[in-house]
Amino acid sequence: MHSFGYRANALLTFAVTILALMCAMASLSDNLNSPSPTSQVQVLNINWFQKKLDGDDEVSMTLNVSANLESLFTWNTKQVFVFLAAEYETPKNSLNQVSLWDGIIPAKEHAKFWIHTTNKYRFIDQGSNLRGREFNLTLHWHIMPKTGKMFADKIVMSGYRLPDAYR
Amino acid sequence: MFGQMDWQGQKLAEQLVQIMLVSFAVMALLVGYALESFQSMMLIYAGGVALTTLITAPNWPFFNRHPLNWLDQSEAVKHPKPKLLRT
Repeated sequence: MHSFGYRANALLTFAVTILALMCAMASLSDNLNSPSPTSQVQVLNINWFQKKLDGDDEVSMTLNVSANLESLFTWNTKQVFVFLAAEYETPKNSLNQVSLWDGIIPAKEHAKFWIHTTNKYRFIDQGSNLRGREFNLTLHWHIMPKTGKMFADKIVMSGYRLPDAYR
Repeated sequence: MFGQMDWQGQKLAEQLVQIMLVSFAVMALLVGYALESFQSMMLIYAGGVALTTLITAPNWPFFNRHPLNWLDQSEAVKHPKPKLLRT
């Protein structure tokens, strides 16, 4: 600890090590949070429902997605990435997941929302299995932290069914 | 203005660094968590690091209150090193 440079170096190294520990503690504090999110999705309209030229089914729908994700936010939350996936079973695949919409929620103030939209991403099946198909709409989210561990979870909403015939 | 730092001063400087940085870290964490503000934690800690650097890094005079008084050259000459006898 003899010279200015020696002391400054030792001090700064120690300071950065402590900073790493602080970030670890901040991330651990996220485990104290017990979130209680809610969501609801209405399929307002099936706009069209066709078999494409390559043989795969495609459907376009208008959705109303509403959710309250305020309880997901902590002091260590950078943003919440949320997406809505249609999930269903076919003879060939035990689980099909198709992302229909996604968004980024930058702050708690924007976490209670509703959105009236057609599906942002195309709902295309691997094959021609969608007629009369029952499906779930699952809201998935990733809580992206400022530092540390990312938490992901979902809410499954079931009871949706596609039309029996193309339109 | 800036001279040397003596041994006691170096020990004091090291203790100050450790105590101050840990204290500011704990304070920053608690305040940040209580205010739900990550930025508060970072600002308090950054301020703490700056303050600690200011107090401990330069050779302030209060780090040199127990200087070692080396023997003067003229005095040393009067007391030559004893010669080794054949063992």
